Amino acid sequence: MNLNLTPIFNELNALHRERGCDAHVATMTLVVFFEDQQIGKLARDRIHRLASKHPSRVVVLDGAGDPSLDHVEPGDWIELGVHDGEPATLRSAVEALRLPDVPLDLLWIAAGIGGDQRFEMLSEHAQMIVYNSSLLDAGHDALCELVEYVQRHPQLPLADIAYLRLAPWQESVAIFFDGKDAEELSDIRRVEIACGSEPEAFYLLGWLASRLAWKPLSTTSLVNRYGKRIDFEIRREGEPRRVSCIALSSSRSKFVAEVDTSAATIQLSVTGSSKHPQRYRAVNNPGIAALLERAILWGRNDRVFFESLAAAGEILACRKD
Amino acid sequence: MPDKAAVASGPATGDGASVNPLRAGLASDQITDPCSVVFFGASGDLFKRMLLPAIYSMRLRGTLPADFALVGFARTPYSDESFREYCRQQLDLFMPSDGKPQGAIWEDFSKRLSYITADFNDPRHFIALKERLVQDDEQFGTAGNHLFYLATPPSVFPDIIKHLKSSGLEKSATGWTRVVVEKPFGTDLRSARALQKAIEAVFPESQIYRIDHYLGKEPVQDIIALRFANTIFEPIWNRNYVQHVQITSAESLGVEERGGYYDGAGALRDMIQNHVINLLALVAMEAPIGSGADDIRGEKYKVLSAIAPPAHHAVWSTSARGQYGPGTIDGRAVKGYRQEQDVAPDSNTETFAAAKLYVENWRWAGVPFYLRSGKRLPRKVSEIAVTFKPIPHRFYGESTDRIEPNVLVIKIEPDEGISMRFEAKVPGPKEHVRSVYMDFSYGIGFGVQSPPAYERLIGDAIVGDQTLFTRWDAVERAWQIVTPILEVWQNTKDFSFPNYAAGSQGPESAFSLFPDWRHL
Repeated sequence: MNLNLTPIFNELNALHRERGCDAHVATMTLVVFFEDQQIGKLARDRIHRLASKHPSRVVVLDGAGDPSLDHVEPGDWIELGVHDGEPATLRSAVEALRLPDVPLDLLWIAAGIGGDQRFEMLSEHAQMIVYNSSLLDAGHDALCELVEYVQRHPQLPLADIAYLRLAPWQESVAIFFDGKDAEELSDIRRVEIACGSEPEAFYLLGWLASRLAWKPLSTTSLVNRYGKRIDFEIRREGEPRRVSCIALSSSRSKFVAEVDTSAATIQLSVTGSSKHPQRYRAVNNPGIAALLERAILWGRNDRVFFESLAAAGEILACRKD
Repeated sequence: MPDKAAVASGPATGDGASVNPLRAGLASDQITDPCSVVFFGASGDLFKRMLLPAIYSMRLRGTLPADFALVGFARTPYSDESFREYCRQQLDLFMPSDGKPQGAIWEDFSKRLSYITADFNDPRHFIALKERLVQDDEQFGTAGNHLFYLATPPSVFPDIIKHLKSSGLEKSATGWTRVVVEKPFGTDLRSARALQKAIEAVFPESQIYRIDHYLGKEPVQDIIALRFANTIFEPIWNRNYVQHVQITSAESLGVEERGGYYDGAGALRDMIQNHVINLLALVAMEAPIGSGADDIRGEKYKVLSAIAPPAHHAVWSTSARGQYGPGTIDGRAVKGYRQEQDVAPDSNTETFAAAKLYVENWRWAGVPFYLRSGKRLPRKVSEIAVTFKPIPHRFYGESTDRIEPNVLVIKIEPDEGISMRFEAKVPGPKEHVRSVYMDFSYGIGFGVQSPPAYERLIGDAIVGDQTLFTRWDAVERAWQIVTPILEVWQNTKDFSFPNYAAGSQGPESAFSLFPDWRHL
């Protein structure tokens, strides 16, 4: 399949002339790839929101769309139907359409990154790649695929929406162990996570494991640096992509963060020797557009993310074995 | 207990307990110590409009420590219960629609609020405060960390400080103690020194946080990024290329309900001595060697110490003052300053101040810095305009064309951004040139809302980061710079007042000082 970009450039030029003397600022070229039409519809809506805050050139690559539908919309929004598009063709189109001097960011909303040449080619020149391992499937296949891909491409500038979504939970768990309660971390014996999708749950467990140097011991347990065993349980319950509870138990205390019935607040309770008055945090579940923004603005080179991903990968590999 | 956050860079560890490895890489990677915040003046305007909403917003964002308590301390009588209700009402008024007090977060927050009806000069009330803080430490796990926020009129600062000492609240056996002092820090050099003497007798500099909320504004911090995260500006940021610098902080509002305070202060004290001189320091300072609090504050002090205060005899040729009379703003008739509530009908207080200063160092020798601030000017605008020298030799353009110098404008309020004026050829066969503006808006460029200044600064005080708080040497130096002007102005009854109409560009004397002020 060949793409004819001449009409696209003509349309772009015409729109720029129409825009006239309006000041124009561009912060990035955002390339979006999807194959599922339903997801594409949602994605367009989110990207519109993002692009209205961060003026960008948006190149939508509709993996199921026909080239006859190629067109340009106001605001430097370019739609290309790339069904059956060769990977090299896609890359050359993006190279031709990207704005010079601003970052190129790729939002990939499709399955199969492991063996997909299109992903490989498009990601080559991207300054940031945003993936969502829990979008298409509540299981952990997409996460496993990501782990493998990152192992092969360790320098990949990548962020996963599923991981970014966990920020309020990471903050909540961290609160338990500030000050002298940090000592309890070396005595954790059990972790329970309840979540509607597995990637978030494994990321949360992987994050703990990477921070606390826990290694997989069996399909349901880890071991800490002192050789103490930590059992874990992941329960798939509640809404997809939403954590509802995480509980950590040490030999003397239990630390529980769970959403209340309003789903707007995380209740933090500690019982046992580290007993503490109940505390609360707003869940502040950010929408996809906000998570995308976070990924693009601040997600680059997030060492903790890559370490959490690697640890989650080790745990999943152990389960597979 | 010594304030570790102040003496060591890196995250505060509060009581010296183990570092929490789960904090690495999180948004709140600096451990926010549990703490109690005491607001002196909690029944006042600043508290209800700015401080309380900032604290509650931090709670909603999760940037306030979970183990937290707030004690209000003021003259207006409230019980704990009625203070909570008062706070709820104020939050209802001053929080945006998505931050109204409700649900479990508000329930939890409100039970951490308490109040002491107090006379600032009665030691018994400070003993009561001490007991309350001990109670809060036990009940809410605030670990003996105490932040005292002085949001009262400055006249009672010394009393509060004195009684914090007499009641033993100046230090904590188990945690840290910090004191936030609202501006103005003194009303002149002498009173500022007296206040400093009173405070430093009780608290070391590392525990004193002199707040100027202007410095917490994102665009003010962006000045450092613009200058030192880019290479294109720094080579021309000096006397070889810069003709002059204009720093403007203009408001269209009058004194509103602050007539009583303002009539004793005036524009020079209220704005120039702190906000505007701080902006000058950020624009003119050398690159700090690091991003530590004292790296930046040290450079700011150095540049301020290179500014020579005007000699008394030169005050009228290097400054201008004005007071607004009745006029029209946005099509609405407004009254003059002397007709405002709580203002003396024959007031000699300036509502407009302008000054020309020189930074006498290698970089800036001979470059005038023009500062101005005023009320009831046509629009609200805070900006720094750096005007570059004209081209050295003209060979291009039609002889009738005016070739303007380049101007770089750092916009702080109301639009946050940067604009650049440069010359361009007008399309066509002739060699006409004219000025064009290139505009960058942080709002459009990033679309991210930065937290309000008070939120940022209270958070910094809780984590022990003094970068955005003014160090005493800089405060003292700023007072030294404006003192001759203050003294001459105070001793001169200005019979021309009011000398500018509300809604005009300011007094004529400002244009005698400098004819090329940017149009407001």
